[in-house]
Amino acid sequence: MKIRLNPIVKKDLQVTVRSMRISWGLFAYEAALTVAFLLALLVIQAQSSYSSGNVYSSLVYLFPVVAVAQVFIVALYVPIITASSISGEKERQTFDIMLTTSMSPFSIVFGKVMSAVLRILFFVAASTPIMALSFVVGGLSWSNLFFYLLALILFSVFAGSIGIFASSLCRKSVAAVLLSFAMYFVVYFMTFLPVLYFSIFGRGKYGESMLLLLWNPVVFFEEFFMQMMSEESLFSMGNRIFSRNQIGIITYYLSNGKIWMFVSAGCILLLSFLFMACSAWKINPMNSNPGRRSGKKKAV
Amino acid sequence: MLYINNLSKNYGSFTAVNHLSLHIPEGDLFGFVGPNGAGKTTTIRIVCGLLKASEGSVHIGGTAAAVGSREMKRMIGYVPDFFGVYDNLKVKEYMDMYGSMYGMHSRDIAKLTDDLLELVNLSDKKEFYVDTLSRGMKQRLCVARALLHNPKLLILDEPNSGLDPRARVEMKELLKNLHSMGKTIIISSHILSELSEMCNSIGIMNRGQLVTAGRIEDIMRHIAGGSRIHIRIVSDMEPAIRILKEHAGVTVESVRENEVIINYSAPEVEICALIGRLIQNNVILTGFSKEEGSLESLFMQLTGGAQ
Repeated sequence: MKIRLNPIVKKDLQVTVRSMRISWGLFAYEAALTVAFLLALLVIQAQSSYSSGNVYSSLVYLFPVVAVAQVFIVALYVPIITASSISGEKERQTFDIMLTTSMSPFSIVFGKVMSAVLRILFFVAASTPIMALSFVVGGLSWSNLFFYLLALILFSVFAGSIGIFASSLCRKSVAAVLLSFAMYFVVYFMTFLPVLYFSIFGRGKYGESMLLLLWNPVVFFEEFFMQMMSEESLFSMGNRIFSRNQIGIITYYLSNGKIWMFVSAGCILLLSFLFMACSAWKINPMNSNPGRRSGKKKAV
Repeated sequence: MLYINNLSKNYGSFTAVNHLSLHIPEGDLFGFVGPNGAGKTTTIRIVCGLLKASEGSVHIGGTAAAVGSREMKRMIGYVPDFFGVYDNLKVKEYMDMYGSMYGMHSRDIAKLTDDLLELVNLSDKKEFYVDTLSRGMKQRLCVARALLHNPKLLILDEPNSGLDPRARVEMKELLKNLHSMGKTIIISSHILSELSEMCNSIGIMNRGQLVTAGRIEDIMRHIAGGSRIHIRIVSDMEPAIRILKEHAGVTVESVRENEVIINYSAPEVEICALIGRLIQNNVILTGFSKEEGSLESLFMQLTGGAQ
């Protein structure tokens, strides 16, 4: 059976690779990662010289620094791509034609997210030498790099689905980009608020409220890096951060970092799917409010 | 081919389309006419599944497929009034992309692309980037794209807007060609002269309502109700006007210097008798001409000059 590439992915990639923007984007991406790498190297060297310690044992921290820089760039870049995808098609007035084809709204949305993920994978692939350097001198294994790539793809899908959801709600690309960052804020910071509230005012729901953090990609990456670097977990550090007696039975089992990571990955994937499903529902003209104007401004 | 039953679209208190019912037979080239805001585009967008109707139903080719369903979309080829392009996409890639969106195989798309580009006279532009084409070429490419999945119904919304005269002629010829091939085509336009040359039937919309629809000749005959005749007279006008008023089926519309315009609703063969009677009464005639009805005059009459 021949696997057929989503036509939107194919088109977006064709259009993207011919654009000068991709070259400049790659240049900026590589430059940012190189700066992060060199800064981390500089700090490690300086600290080693002050403490007269072994510089090689500290080089392992090159990886989290460069990787976090990469995650940060992905977090900024992917929503910008997807947030301008649907609204960009509307601005270009190609969206109506797309909707009249046999493609389902979900296929359109999925194609847009996947093209953003593939585009970011170009960048990630191009950054492999820098990442490999931090692995070689940092002493991490290739399997770590593989799992890191998987985590990055998962995060790209999540960031892309937030962007596409914002794009389906807004007519203008700029508004969609701003909305997607506002949604980031909600997912990243608002999931911390109940934990903070219960930790201060009431211990009763403290553990249960921490389940919200399963949906938070920041906590997912924190667990990911902690597992990779020290095989410890934020939730199994005893009295230092979260006491096991306080976090409740559900989070007790999740206090194993690996289990938390996999459950969290599932939650983030589910959240991404929900965002994409909502976007598909929103762009389907048959679901629009019959009392409101949709599509072109001059619809009559 | 296309059955629209009691279709309505409301935006709050504003009614864009008001209980529209229409049947377009297979093989027709149907012209959708109406002033701005009449509801033509809204109707077209509902038929294409781009807008949800407040009320009513649309069926194509006798199937019970719902508007916006995959089955319905396969039966329609839609050409919007504005042609948006992707930078850095070639003509053949553009066709390939839309073919893939209809679930067609690359081999079939490639073959059909060659045939359709030849049909729209763009064979030599296959390797060109779409954004480098002229507006007329883009519009013809859009028609080729809309035909790629071999739809039963081709819908064009203002296809000639913004085109230069040459591109308009080319588009007109293309549509005539497609009509001769048996395609059912709906075209909405403001350029009435072109519609009257191309279409065999029309529908006139005004303020969300379908004022009239049918074969152009039938509508002309039915709406005009008779013929307007211009009579040029060089002798005294008084006896001539008296004779005309006395003649059955004649209504004097206006009297100018040396010219009388009458509306004649009696059978055409009796015009000879009227001319004979005028001559017998020493009225000197220098001209006797029947005014041909035009789509413009019909449109103005039905829409109250709303254009």
